[in-house]
Order: sequence, then structure tokens, then C-alpha cells
Amino acid sequence: MKRWIAIAAVIAVAAVLPLLLNPTGYWIRILTFTLLFAAMAQVWNIIGGLANQTSLGHAAFFGIGAYTSTILLLKFGLSPWIGMFAGGLLGGIAALIIAVPTMRLQGHYFALATLAFGEVMRVIANVWTPLTGGPGGLSVPFMPPSVAAYSFKQLLPHAYIALIALIVVTFIFEAIRRGAMGYRLRAIKENAAAAEVIGIDTTKVKLQTAVISGVLMAMLGTLYAQVAVFFDPDTVFSAASISIRVALIAILGGVGTAIGPILGALFIIPVEELMNDLFSASAAGLSQLIFGVILIAVILWRPRGFITVFDAMVARLSGRAGS
Amino acid sequence: MSESALLLEIAGLNAGYGEIEVLHGIDLQVRDGEFVCIIGANTAGKSTILRAISRLVPHVTGTLRFAGADLAGRASHEIPALGIAHVPEGRHVFADMTVEENLLLGAFTLRHQPDLPARMDGVFELFPRLRERRAQLAGTLSGGEQQMVAVGRALMLQPRLLLLDEPSHGLAPKVVEEMHDAFTTIHRRGTSILLVEQNVGLALDVATRGYVLESGRIALQGSSAELNQNPAVRAAYLGI
Repeated sequence: MKRWIAIAAVIAVAAVLPLLLNPTGYWIRILTFTLLFAAMAQVWNIIGGLANQTSLGHAAFFGIGAYTSTILLLKFGLSPWIGMFAGGLLGGIAALIIAVPTMRLQGHYFALATLAFGEVMRVIANVWTPLTGGPGGLSVPFMPPSVAAYSFKQLLPHAYIALIALIVVTFIFEAIRRGAMGYRLRAIKENAAAAEVIGIDTTKVKLQTAVISGVLMAMLGTLYAQVAVFFDPDTVFSAASISIRVALIAILGGVGTAIGPILGALFIIPVEELMNDLFSASAAGLSQLIFGVILIAVILWRPRGFITVFDAMVARLSGRAGS
Repeated sequence: MSESALLLEIAGLNAGYGEIEVLHGIDLQVRDGEFVCIIGANTAGKSTILRAISRLVPHVTGTLRFAGADLAGRASHEIPALGIAHVPEGRHVFADMTVEENLLLGAFTLRHQPDLPARMDGVFELFPRLRERRAQLAGTLSGGEQQMVAVGRALMLQPRLLLLDEPSHGLAPKVVEEMHDAFTTIHRRGTSILLVEQNVGLALDVATRGYVLESGRIALQGSSAELNQNPAVRAAYLGI
């Protein structure tokens, strides 16, 4: 009960926050991307945290989603809301195709195989010019603003859509974690041999996880396309700024926990923006270096993520309330 | 003496990993209600027989039948539902889960499980120490207690056949004795057991019949009393 009140309070604060920001300003954009990346990291967390398979190729599904809805809109005038589900379907199929041969791999081998898959998708999008527009990228056509057309004059609705997406994927993550599937995944993670002999179909559970994660990641790709309005293969299929970044957000925040990716995104996205803002004019490249140093320092300080700081704070607060 | 029905039937079993064949033409049967042991030196292939039954060995040829059902072509996760529970070698517990969660996961393949509390009580009766530690994380238990969890988890399935792989390995002598008493009780309650054991003396004490495995072949078989009296067994395994 107490827990639900806390969750409702956090959601209420998050729902009011965008209203306090200048609707055409810089910070609402950062907030939107922070929420979107938190959702992406949460989706990564389903496979990376619950199934313990560190994917470095989630840009593949993200890009598939962005391209699918945008191409359907450009060629057939289909609303991105529908295109989002079409992208989700293709993302799920792609996840299945990559998961079947790679799921038996573990650790670094799985990470490298998925990294390669993301890069393959980037190369394909770059050369398949008739469909994707090639390296020139795609512009999302401007539609008369309406909810049905997923087109808005301001960023505010996008911020709310990203917030809703984050809430939805967080609930999906928690439902999996606490459900029968979560138990199966925990059993596999803790002792694969014992999981096998009690009758858990390890391959099937891992495939299910991969597909769920792939579908959701592709759907978030549509959200990104609608906010960004323009994108090219090197942005949406990027290993560094999508695949590795979402993994980093989840790991830095606290892998395998529902709150981890949210804490990670709240830190990484604004800090990275701030560094770019502060240093890019004076010395290009320096901002990335400083950002890297901050990340290393944080990981050395809290190897298991911000969640440990968060847990300590909650423990102290509830201890004080109790005394 | 009327013989009970054949529960497990293995004939002409060859099994191995990759290029290496470990088992060569194994014939072995377990009748309903029997307590059978497989003894032999390390690397004789004892565990591989159990792993072949559970479909955990990649290359298997020959006949493997359980209660009339052909085990060939089945995936390893389908085996528990047939009524075979496997306690693998080395204490394979889910370390970050409580004792209770470990036990519940043992009955995980059963779709309708109204009697889970009763089944868990059955396990606690057998291993009273687990009742005391039901909320404790399995990884924090002693070696013997972890082995009790692994056996208890298998019993949650109420299997027709229990496969035990080196259950006393690395345990203190007193715990080993306790463990073997438990096996006798499990057998008396009606579960057939196939036990793989390095400790030949103990195995022949609890089991009614045994097979001696040497370099992947059955070298000898007979009742425990016969094997106990066999000069070759006495010389090689009992050190007498």
C-alpha cells in the first residue's frame, strides 16, 4: 500500500514537471529525451537484466522501428500510431532471427554477436537507398497537428508520450520480473544446470525475452522518429549513441532493477547535454572526454549502480520515519 | 517371486560428448519400486548414464524407455513432467533464492498444484532442518543443507524415479549417513531410485541391486548382497 502511494507520488511529480518548463525551450527537449532513453534502457533491462544477456545491438530494433513507421507514413500516409505496431512486429521478427543463433552464447560472445548485428543493420540502411533514403536519411513529413496523426506544434505532448511509454515499459518489466517468467529467468541466471533438470525450457524463455525486448525497442524507435523529425542510418542504428548508451544507462543505474534505468537516464542524458553545452564551443571533443571521465568515476564509486545510493537513502528515510 | 513392472529400460546405450564416446553398449533396468545403484571408479561414466536419461548428453544412441514412453527425441525440459527427477552432481541450488522458493521451483512443471503445501510438508518431514531455514537464502546454507534442498526440490515433483548423482560427495560423514537414511525413507514411501555413488560401501548398504561400471561398460551386476560378497568388488572398491 505504502509502495503504491510512493509510486503514484513519483508519477504525479513527473506529470507536473513538463508543465513547469518553457514549452518551446531547451530543457523540455532534454526532459523528453531523458524519459525516452529511460524507457529504452528499461526495455534493454528486460534482456540485459532479467535474462542476463548483455545485448550491444539494440539499435537494430530501434532503427527498424524508426524506419518502419516513417516509411509507412511517407509512402502510404499511414499514421505513426499504426506504424509503431508494424515496426514492433518487424522488431520482434528481427529479434527472433538474431536470438535463435546467438542465445546459446554467453557473456562477451553474445555482446559481440549482437553488436555485429546492429552494425549490419546500419550498413543495410545506408546502401538500401530506394527504401531508406540511404545516408541522406529520412525527414518525417509535416502533418496538420492532431493526436491521431501523431503530430504536434510543441514538444510538450512528446514529453508526455515519452513519460507514458516509460511508465508502460516499467510496468511490463516489473510484471515479467515478478511473474512466472521472472522466476524462470532467475533460475537460469543462478544455476543453468539446475534450471534444466527441473524442467525449464531455457532456450524458449530466453527467446521470449529477446522478442519482447525487440518489439518494445522498435516501438520506441517510432517515438524517437516523431520527436527528432529527421534521422539517418548513423543516428538510429548507432552502436555508440544507441546500443551502448542504453546498456550503459541501465548498468550505471542498476541492472535488473526497475528503478535503475530511470536513475541512469536522469544522470547520463542531462550530464552529457550539459558537458556538450559547456565545452563544445571552447574545445570540441573535450566534452566527450570529460563525460567519459565522469562515467568512469561513477562506475568506480558505485560498481553496482545508482540503485545502491537510492536504496541507502530509502533505508535511511524509512528508518527515520520509524523512530 | 513376482517381478514388478519395468520402469526404466536402457538397452545398447552409447553416449558421449563430441568425438569422445563415454558409454559403450549399456544395458540397465530399474523395476517399479526398486532402489538401484551404479558404482565404479571416477570417469567410468556413471554420471553420463543419468545425464543421458535426462537428455543432457548431446550424442546418444540406443534404447531409452521410461514407463513405456520412448525418451529419444525428447528435450531435457520435458523429462521432469514424465516423472523423472534428477539431482545433479555438485550442489546445484538457486543460491539467491530462499529454501522455499527453491522447493517451489521443483514443482514448477506441474500445471495444477493444489497440494504444494502438503508436498513441501513432506520434504520438511524428511529434512526437518529445512523447515527451520525455509526463509533463508539457499546460498548461505551449509553443504549438507544445500544437498537437502537439491533433493527436496526433486521430491516436490513426486517423481516415480529419482536420479541421484553423487549425493554424498564432499559431505561430512555424519551428514552422509543422514542423507542415506533419507534415501531409504524416500524409497520406502514408494519412489524408485537410481543412485550413482563413489562410496561403494554406502551405496550397497542402501540399494537393493547394483551395477558396476568400468570404462563405460557394465562389468558386473547383481543384488547388493552378491556384490558385497564379490571378491573383485571387495578388492577394487571396498579395500578389503
